[in-house]
Amino acid sequence: MISFNSTRETVAFLARRATWGLAPGELDELEALGVQGTIERLVDPSAAGLAEEVSWADWDFTYDRGDRDAARAQEVEAYERWIGRLLGTERPLDHQLAWFWHDHFAVSFQVVKSLPMMLEHLERCWALGRGNFRKLIREITTDPAMLVFLDGNTSTGDAPNENYGRELLELYTVGINNFSEADVAAAAAALTGWVVRRSDGHAQFVARRHDDSPQTLLGVDGVHDVDTTVAAVTGSPACPVFIAAKVARYFLGDVDTTTIFELGSVFAEADLDIATLIRATLEAGVAGKATPTVLAPLPWLAQVVKATGARAETELLAGALRALGQIPGNPPNVGGYPGASTWLASSATAARFSASTAIARATDDESPVMVAARARDWSGLADELLRPAGFSQPTITALEELGAGASTRPGEAALAVALASPDLLVA
Amino acid sequence: MTISRRSFLGGATGAAIVGGGAWAALIRDGVETAAPSLASTTTLTPSSTTTTAAVAAAAANAGVAESLHDRVLVVLELAGGNDALNTLVPDLGRYHDARPLVGLGDAELIALAGTDHRLHPALGGLASFWDAGTMSAIAGVAMPEQSRSHFQAMDSWRSGTAGPSQTGWLGRWLDLSLDEERNGVDDPLRAIALGGGSPALVGSRTMATAIRNPANFSLRTQRGTDADALIDAFLATSAPLVDDPTLAAAQQAIPGTLDAVALLASARVDDATGLASPTQGGTAQELLATAANIIDMEIGTRILTVGVGGFDTHASQHATHHDLLADIGAGLEAFFARLAATGHLDRVMVITTSEFGRRVTENGSGGTDHGNGGLQFVFGPTVAGGVVHGGYELNSLDRGDLPLVVDTRSVYRSALEWLGGDGAADGVFDDVSDALPLLST
Repeated sequence: MISFNSTRETVAFLARRATWGLAPGELDELEALGVQGTIERLVDPSAAGLAEEVSWADWDFTYDRGDRDAARAQEVEAYERWIGRLLGTERPLDHQLAWFWHDHFAVSFQVVKSLPMMLEHLERCWALGRGNFRKLIREITTDPAMLVFLDGNTSTGDAPNENYGRELLELYTVGINNFSEADVAAAAAALTGWVVRRSDGHAQFVARRHDDSPQTLLGVDGVHDVDTTVAAVTGSPACPVFIAAKVARYFLGDVDTTTIFELGSVFAEADLDIATLIRATLEAGVAGKATPTVLAPLPWLAQVVKATGARAETELLAGALRALGQIPGNPPNVGGYPGASTWLASSATAARFSASTAIARATDDESPVMVAARARDWSGLADELLRPAGFSQPTITALEELGAGASTRPGEAALAVALASPDLLVA
Repeated sequence: MTISRRSFLGGATGAAIVGGGAWAALIRDGVETAAPSLASTTTLTPSSTTTTAAVAAAAANAGVAESLHDRVLVVLELAGGNDALNTLVPDLGRYHDARPLVGLGDAELIALAGTDHRLHPALGGLASFWDAGTMSAIAGVAMPEQSRSHFQAMDSWRSGTAGPSQTGWLGRWLDLSLDEERNGVDDPLRAIALGGGSPALVGSRTMATAIRNPANFSLRTQRGTDADALIDAFLATSAPLVDDPTLAAAQQAIPGTLDAVALLASARVDDATGLASPTQGGTAQELLATAANIIDMEIGTRILTVGVGGFDTHASQHATHHDLLADIGAGLEAFFARLAATGHLDRVMVITTSEFGRRVTENGSGGTDHGNGGLQFVFGPTVAGGVVHGGYELNSLDRGDLPLVVDTRSVYRSALEWLGGDGAADGVFDDVSDALPLLST
């Protein structure tokens, strides 16, 4: 359990879990807003007076995979837009949710291979990510990238492909042990007929490829198409608990079962409204239900880049993410990005050290973190890095023992060690 | 490893041993400066490349390692559910009936001595191991009550237990052998996972080293900083361990990482066997090349896992599966060639795993859905070669899937008894399944 000794510690916790990091000075603003004010600003930014964001993927271009150089340039630009948006947004929780759903559905660009389709998918995760879960699942079920990713595109009534039907149940809505093999077959049959139109990449229903015969899915009779399938799976009592558990683990860590069932009830009573679930989840966190978690590479990198203000060129960010092992848009398998044990493995540990030295190098002398490091003000440095309670004693000792001559530029070596420290990996 | 054996195999293969190499230089450079590029390739020298047949023959004659403690078990994990029936193909009409599109035609398959089963053409290079008697297969292999879920099936294959388990079968062996082999002192380099960590290695008193991409495995510092001082300070953040278990876990990862980086910096890339130096990582060929380097370093590593993904072939599987198997086949050929050249062939057994085989009847997408009974291969100098254990029981399908004929724990048990001697598997498994007679006596 994480308990808090001050408002500053509590809002720093919210920033570590529900934003992409804070720029210098922003922690002061959140502290002034207070704990509830910070939660409201995160969960309902419009009510807090923040401007609406326009579609980030609303970007008109012609994508031709045959023209490799042009396609690669567009892929790099898309990546820069995406990461740039995460680092620059005033609505960080919306993009946390977009990332959460991207991880949840685990659609991989390596499989989809079409940049416009992939962007459209990510756009759906963002635009629908804080709304109603039923609506999200309905739209993702016929999302072109998903139809390619889990083979709905080639599934026919004569020979249904079970890939999406299985993962819809096991990974997306109700979870393992809450469905049978017959349910997999039923969902697969009811969802046949949806294809991606070659001419424009949009989803289209083709009746002759569809098996319209009534199926029994999770005990619901008469399921025969996408809407009745979505109604059956999201109507299962297992669904709100399964999603609440995943959301709680993402934001809060190793949460107790009672809290998960309480959040599941909140979600069910709100008719699967995601924003309501998130608000309740963050409130449980500040009430002491959260446990320490290991940050995945992208949130770790975003948080240190924001705090340092490092001039993070694409090359640095992409290189670091690649070495750390988390490449946005490319989850390794349908289970999504891996968990804490992977980010504690030797590969990621070495890569975190290397990235920290590069980020410290890219940090200006005037940056508050560098000023604190130069002054050997370890509590000030920890505060700038969203750890107002300070570093652990081993990290303080390591910084103390690091000679001032360890870097030609004063403070750079200490900043690198602080960024690489176990303290910064744990949120 | 002995000089005499190296000489013997050296004579058989004509391959020279070349020390140093691009990879070591790369990591050394990486420690000292921000290395600009990872692209550093060795030149292929086909004229001196060991022939697979020569390696296979050498493997058959290599005999038994002097000490059990020198032996290395390599577990090649094919994630996603490898299609058993299209990897080792049965000569049965029902196979073709079930797979009019996905089935492989007789003409393209590779015959194997002493069996009606034939290999996928992309694995043709492995036939010489079969013929030389250093390769066997286990068909219809599964865990009891196996799920069609990737994640549940992987859990049971990696735990080797019927129910949920906090540990993996390899991790339990590492735990149980720690006292006898290491006087109870753990060394994370006893088990190394390449291509990402493997839950099979999770123990309760031992740790493994997980390296996703060997080419990126380095510590880089910037010019104008004291690399040694930075690395020392990074190490200093790891001790003493704090009370919070999550923060302590992040601390514990650091010393083993620094050791592993330092040791792997001395891994060699042998030009003479024609291996490209590892670059991007991730393919079976690159990971197996690194595995061979680690075995050659003789740092006391007893288990290596090599993780390769992409076997979830629900659609258009012909080309995808071909490429995946070609990577495996080429990777294993080069791996054994490298072991022969460095004199380590008799120390190594390889087994493959995959969480399930695929549905017998193809789906409408030119692919196959999740199934049950699968396939394992076993390679090694003491393997009783040229045998298909178990079998594909196409006449008694279970919900359209191949039924369990062999419990994979009996394969595991054989592998552990080879690795650690008689009784090595005792206590690792929660039942008493017999070892499969995989080894020649």
